[in-house]
Amino acid sequence: MSSEQAARGVINLSESDSSLVNEIKELGGEELMECIQCAKCAAACPMVLAGFPFFNKRIIQAIFLGLRDALLDDSSIWACQSCNRCTEVCPREVNPFEIIQAMRRVAIREFALPTLSIEGLKSLYDTGHAVYLAGAGNTRVKVGLPEKPPSTVANPDALKELQAVIRKTALADLGIIPMDEPGV
Amino acid sequence: MPRIGVYICHCGENIAGAVNVEEVRKYAENLPGVVVARNYLFMCSDPGQELIKQDIRNGLIDRVVVAACTPRTHEPIFRKTVEDGGLNKYLLEMANIRDQDSWPHWHDKEGATEKAKKLVASAVAKAAFLEPLEDRFVEVTRASLVVGGGVAGMFAALDLANMGYKVYLVEKSPSLGGNMAKLDKTFPTNDCSACILTPIMVQVGTHPNIELLTYSEVESVEGSIGNFKVKVRKKQTYIDWDKCTGCGDCVNACPAKVPNEFNEGMDNRKAIYIEFPQAVPKRAVVDIEHCLSCAKRTIGTQPRIHSKTGEPILAPCEKACKTGACDRSREYNPEGEIVELNVGTIIVATGYKVMDKAPFKEYSPQSPNVITAMQLERILSATGPTEGHFHRPSDGEKPETIAFISCVGSRDKRYHTYCSKVCCMYMLKEARLIKEKYPETNIYIFFIDVRTGGKDFEEYYNYCRNLGIKMLRGRVGAVDELPGDRLRVRAYDVDLGAPVELEADLVVLATAIEPAPDLDELGRKLGITCGSEGFLKEMHTKLYPVETPVKGIYIAGCAQGPKDIPESVSQARAASSAAAVPLTLGKVIVEPLISEVNQRKCTGCGTCVQLCPYSAISLVEDKGRSRSKIDEAMCAGCGVCAAACPSGVITLHGFTNAQIHAQIKALAC
Amino acid sequence: MKVGFFVGCNTAFNRPDLEQAVRYAFPALGIELDNLEGQSCCPSWGTMPSVDVVGWCAVGARNHTIAEEKGLDIVTVCGSCYGSLAESKYKMDTHPEIKAQVNEILKDIGREYKGTSNVRLTFYYLYHELGPDKIKEAVKHKLDGLTVALQPGCHTLWPSKVYYDKEEDTFHPRVLKEMCEALGATVGHYTRLIDCCGMGAMRSTDMEKSFKLVEKKLISMKNEVNPDLIITGCSSCLIQLDTAQDLLRSSKKINFEIPVLHFMQVLALCLGADPERVTGLAKTDVSRVVNRILEG
Repeated sequence: MSSEQAARGVINLSESDSSLVNEIKELGGEELMECIQCAKCAAACPMVLAGFPFFNKRIIQAIFLGLRDALLDDSSIWACQSCNRCTEVCPREVNPFEIIQAMRRVAIREFALPTLSIEGLKSLYDTGHAVYLAGAGNTRVKVGLPEKPPSTVANPDALKELQAVIRKTALADLGIIPMDEPGV
Repeated sequence: MPRIGVYICHCGENIAGAVNVEEVRKYAENLPGVVVARNYLFMCSDPGQELIKQDIRNGLIDRVVVAACTPRTHEPIFRKTVEDGGLNKYLLEMANIRDQDSWPHWHDKEGATEKAKKLVASAVAKAAFLEPLEDRFVEVTRASLVVGGGVAGMFAALDLANMGYKVYLVEKSPSLGGNMAKLDKTFPTNDCSACILTPIMVQVGTHPNIELLTYSEVESVEGSIGNFKVKVRKKQTYIDWDKCTGCGDCVNACPAKVPNEFNEGMDNRKAIYIEFPQAVPKRAVVDIEHCLSCAKRTIGTQPRIHSKTGEPILAPCEKACKTGACDRSREYNPEGEIVELNVGTIIVATGYKVMDKAPFKEYSPQSPNVITAMQLERILSATGPTEGHFHRPSDGEKPETIAFISCVGSRDKRYHTYCSKVCCMYMLKEARLIKEKYPETNIYIFFIDVRTGGKDFEEYYNYCRNLGIKMLRGRVGAVDELPGDRLRVRAYDVDLGAPVELEADLVVLATAIEPAPDLDELGRKLGITCGSEGFLKEMHTKLYPVETPVKGIYIAGCAQGPKDIPESVSQARAASSAAAVPLTLGKVIVEPLISEVNQRKCTGCGTCVQLCPYSAISLVEDKGRSRSKIDEAMCAGCGVCAAACPSGVITLHGFTNAQIHAQIKALAC
Repeated sequence: MKVGFFVGCNTAFNRPDLEQAVRYAFPALGIELDNLEGQSCCPSWGTMPSVDVVGWCAVGARNHTIAEEKGLDIVTVCGSCYGSLAESKYKMDTHPEIKAQVNEILKDIGREYKGTSNVRLTFYYLYHELGPDKIKEAVKHKLDGLTVALQPGCHTLWPSKVYYDKEEDTFHPRVLKEMCEALGATVGHYTRLIDCCGMGAMRSTDMEKSFKLVEKKLISMKNEVNPDLIITGCSSCLIQLDTAQDLLRSSKKINFEIPVLHFMQVLALCLGADPERVTGLAKTDVSRVVNRILEG
């Protein structure tokens, strides 16, 4: 079922995937089942105002109903700014932001992630920065700063350390980005 | 050697669904002392009970173990069975293999069966040591105490008084009435709250069998069913109520201003005040904390004498009082007066409190135009701060657009997880009252689920929709303050599938019904507990809804949980009827499961005296030595003394050391 | 007084003038900055947090331990870094099992997360450690006569439970307002103050939709305050409000321009910083308002 169907057409509940709820709970969305779909999070969500087809409340309901494909076929989950206003207002302490993050974690395990996220992860691994602008050195010098900030980009040992940490995380098992051992 | 019969109940599927009953029966058969072990589909049914009786009558057994459900509901039944069979009824022991086994271990059938064996073995081990005991009877004081003078407390008191029993009614406010006195109209018939309540208040106030103790609180409770000794603290009113006529002259004279609780803080009352116009008793009280002590007339001092006139210099309230009720020379006594009452039964009907708006910062509670539904109730009431004129608080303008927000603090894990039950209906009622009077008003109700279960409630809801009140499904996420004291309500309309914004002149928060302040403390004094939601817990949700675990103490109204008026009144009348039973019988059975001290061996150390929570133990002189004495009528059988006695000379009947040790030993096998 | 400066990605590579502003203002107020050598990305929401809770916390914890070893709190100028670091800290501090798993990972690089350093946002840090009065005394230039509209930023407020510095009421924030008022500005209230600017993941996923939010926000500011300057509390909001106006004008969605600066840039100017260094990369024309500040 496509996201377009989810938005407009008939949703076939018989095709639902009942394992999705547990997967979300295991991937950080522990409080999922506390949600009573009151829609307070939606009332506070910038994604609703911007017009995304899925957002906190609707993502949670889709998870309840096991509509895995509808959520994976749509890019909405990647548009959440993590503003956490939903978390602040949620009367059920569901932490809707964390549910969306958990849904991203589900998506990543099915390689359903946007190119930009892959690039961000690769950049994080390669440079220590998710956002790294190679040409930024000149701008930095222009405002009187050293070419490189005092981060992993200026400190190869620190970068190696970070890479060693990342290689120990779940990201390493997923094989989304190449993570060669240094010197290999 | 005792001959024990073991009777294992299937409880339909309740037990047999998890426990292999036949396996447990076979196991029980081989336990020491057991001469017969049987199972049956429903042991509490007539044929089930007959099995036990026959075995007793046949001389087969002289001790009975029933492995079934909870003794809370079924022990009395099986005791009677044992007695009817011809044995002393205390030669019965129950093993709860349902609540403590099959239910919690439903998904582990093997484990549940093993646990059932252990529980049965433990009960059998204890049964071997059971002794026959005799019931005792105590005389009942034919009077009752009702705590709380709201609609529930008043009906409970009236019913008991009309049956001819003496009733003491304790109310912490100066007047009867409770929260209902604050309401404008009441659903589902829209009767004027004051019109239907005032006659009840007057009946209570004038009933010859009711002794009213307003402005009073329960201090302590001792004793047990039939004979409670209650200390009540009467707070000092600083006015001689015997002389006060409730004329209000002193109130008019008082210059102090204090936020008015009765009007939910929306206007001021005086430091000397009468709670509301229909107050019963209609008497003034002095709020001493806010009293300005005009003319240096501190309570308890003699007036200064005017140097020229030679007249005493009085405070304005005193000067205004024509009867001498207001006399500031009277003694300053902030502790008040302790009154001791003896009653046979107690009904607790302490009501509720509505939650404040302050915690809900996302709804801009700092705006005067964001109010609670109880505040709106006062705005709509003719005795309220606007005298019934529909004005918003910021500037007195009539609101053109109103938004109601439901479930504020209810169904909310940060505050109260329960549904407050009455909010859907009171929002509809308030909306309807406004819409009927001012049809041009735009009213929006933002809800999660409309819950209008109740006689005639759904009809009421539809009527409101027909009036043009707009219903939107979706909890409001934000209320922004706009220029001109207006408010922007932001929600997601679930049915439209769209974010919505509404500019409103008034926002009404349906804040939760909360337990009354200090309810848990009152519960502790009475020995009854509050549930996780903070309301008093009934004995059994379905079967004993007004009883508590303490015999002789009953609950009614919102002290037990959120309720509307019809339900509160029904429950109050049920409680009064339950509380009248012991009064009518004149005597009550006291189970012999109480402590006894072996005085000959008592060293008189006094440990038990200090520990007894019921003050049932005292030290008495006996042949020149000090020894403990336990008052049988006051002992509740808690066992604290028996456990603590350093000499081991206190026996708790029904739970003797030998019995408990045998039970533990069997469990450990 | 000394504190660790966590630069992050966007500030270091996109708006180094803001980094320079922090590096100027803190020492000028007598607070030494530590470079937290070897720091990495916080990590940002779309990376490790979207992969795995423990992985997120592990990368965050490496940054935390750099500050912990020096016994310093962390300050950041970026709302996202603030949020991600504070949240990873909160998760580890409240879930011992997460902390244990993270420390298992960190063991290999000889580090251990203890939870001894707090995560602070620049303007909250200055508010609580120095207070508006001391800042008022320290500045050379003031914002007298300037009307400003604020953008505190979502991450500076929510979820409040994870933050060390708290607003009394996160839906009616006061700290940035008080700080700007201490600099002499007239702070105008507009009713979409706490609405999201649309930056971050939303902008990278769908720029058009993201711009709906910033447009609404800018129009609310313009109509209700008509400010001389927008002051943000977050570097991401700075970038969005600063870069979106040109694009919104060319698509005829708005017909005005309001200069945008981060609070730390304004503070640096007031303390006497070189405007080219601390505001030189703004896309909106800030020259007039900068001159007014320097005259003030």
